[in-house]
Amino acid sequence: MHTLRSLYHLTLSTCLEGIRHKALWAIVCLAMLLTLGNLAVTLLFTWDLGKVSIEFGLSAVAFTGLLVVFFLGMKMLADDLERSRIYLLLSRPISIWQYLLGKFLGLALILLTATVILGVSAAVSMQYVLWSYPAFVPPHFSWLTYVMALFSQWLGLVMVLAVSVFCFSFASQPFVALLLTACTYLAGQNMELLRRVVLENAYAGVLSGRESLVIGLSWIFPNLSLFDKKYAAAYGLAFSGQELLLLTGYALSYSLLLLWLAAFLFKRKELA
Amino acid sequence: MSVLLEGVSKHLGARGKKKQVLHDLSLVVERGEVFGFLGPNGAGKSTTIKLLLNFIRPDSGRITVLGRRVGAEEFRDRIGYLPEFPFFYDHLTARETLLLSGRLSGVSEPTLGERIPLLLERMNLAEAANQRVKGFSKGMKQRLGVANALVHDPEVLIFDEPMSGMDPLGRHLIKTIMMELRGLGKTIFFSSHILSDIEALCDRIGVIHKGRLLYAGGLQEFLQGTHDLEARFVAAINEADHAHAA
Repeated sequence: MHTLRSLYHLTLSTCLEGIRHKALWAIVCLAMLLTLGNLAVTLLFTWDLGKVSIEFGLSAVAFTGLLVVFFLGMKMLADDLERSRIYLLLSRPISIWQYLLGKFLGLALILLTATVILGVSAAVSMQYVLWSYPAFVPPHFSWLTYVMALFSQWLGLVMVLAVSVFCFSFASQPFVALLLTACTYLAGQNMELLRRVVLENAYAGVLSGRESLVIGLSWIFPNLSLFDKKYAAAYGLAFSGQELLLLTGYALSYSLLLLWLAAFLFKRKELA
Repeated sequence: MSVLLEGVSKHLGARGKKKQVLHDLSLVVERGEVFGFLGPNGAGKSTTIKLLLNFIRPDSGRITVLGRRVGAEEFRDRIGYLPEFPFFYDHLTARETLLLSGRLSGVSEPTLGERIPLLLERMNLAEAANQRVKGFSKGMKQRLGVANALVHDPEVLIFDEPMSGMDPLGRHLIKTIMMELRGLGKTIFFSSHILSDIEALCDRIGVIHKGRLLYAGGLQEFLQGTHDLEARFVAAINEADHAHAA
């Protein structure tokens, strides 16, 4: 019971600290501007205005989420170590895994808050475009699919956040953790494409015949392209609840596994 | 006994450049005692405290706090820790900071509701209770650090340079509080290189230099009939340096 209570308080305080942080509001303001820019950019196109608006809106949310992970989440984690704030928490009866999970959940909540604010803001600009240009509303467009796509993007960001916590647990410098997370993000975005190119193409250059290596890598890196549902939302393509459930299961299990490994590595770290 | 270190050695630094910072350190602090850990900068005082809190682990030796083996058994709900430079979450208020610490230590909400205003009042922070820590001065942060160490009413207090960076009023306040805590039977283990603080507060002292314990025992025995702790301390350090050089 005390374990869960401690986890709850750690999560809440991390979320509160992040929400009150100026950086978060700067990022949210920037993203709101991007979303408003949605209107301006969309009007530059002469066709498919609805699809452009939806894709632009969701891209703005994803971009801002990444900024939150890289510049707020990782800064908060780095400050804990560099400014010795971690002593404040670890001199209390909490374990390393509680500390890491509390930080992770708090930051995931901040990401959710930012995603909701930006998602609503993007939806307003999208609604304006769809209302002003009814001829360009995608045939099967649904707000439910949009919300599911938004949730799916948040899940992808949660996985990137878990990667950042993992890198932070063993990297000697916060910059190294940032770099490793950025590289993993890029690999994760392209892993599915690489896997398909190698498995379905006999002329895959230097990777020809190395299918097992690519399959192995695809199991290690997070498959972030699975969470990119902009296309489905923009074209009103079928996106089932079952698929979302599977994505949620994948994101949760991958993140928890990384956090478990992070706790294992962090325990070996000396907080000198 | 409250704190026991037995044959503790520790190396720190990057791989290949490791330096031994503690050499076979053995120390006992009895219950209800105020123990001053004295030494020049870089002597190993903070390293010893970090070992007591399991922030770092010894290469060899045994450490127990309140009879519990550090790193193997839980004891942190019974100790209060003040780091040399207490850093807090900038965007939490003083009250929220103490609430978080108290809750993590398993203190009930009604108890915290009563204790936190009293502590803030005692530390002259009542007016800043709802201000974010970001705007606090160094002295205010240090006083909040002391309140933070006391919020769960621990049996053992471990203070790393508690008077560091404080103005005379702040130092007087902390000294008075430490004397009150001694009156309440709390064990206090604190490091300092401010000799007048050691003289005013301690029952026993430990003197450490270059990771080696030079002395552990009563303050009067260390003074050897003189009244000048500074002169005696400098002499002890010089003797150790000469012995090491020889």
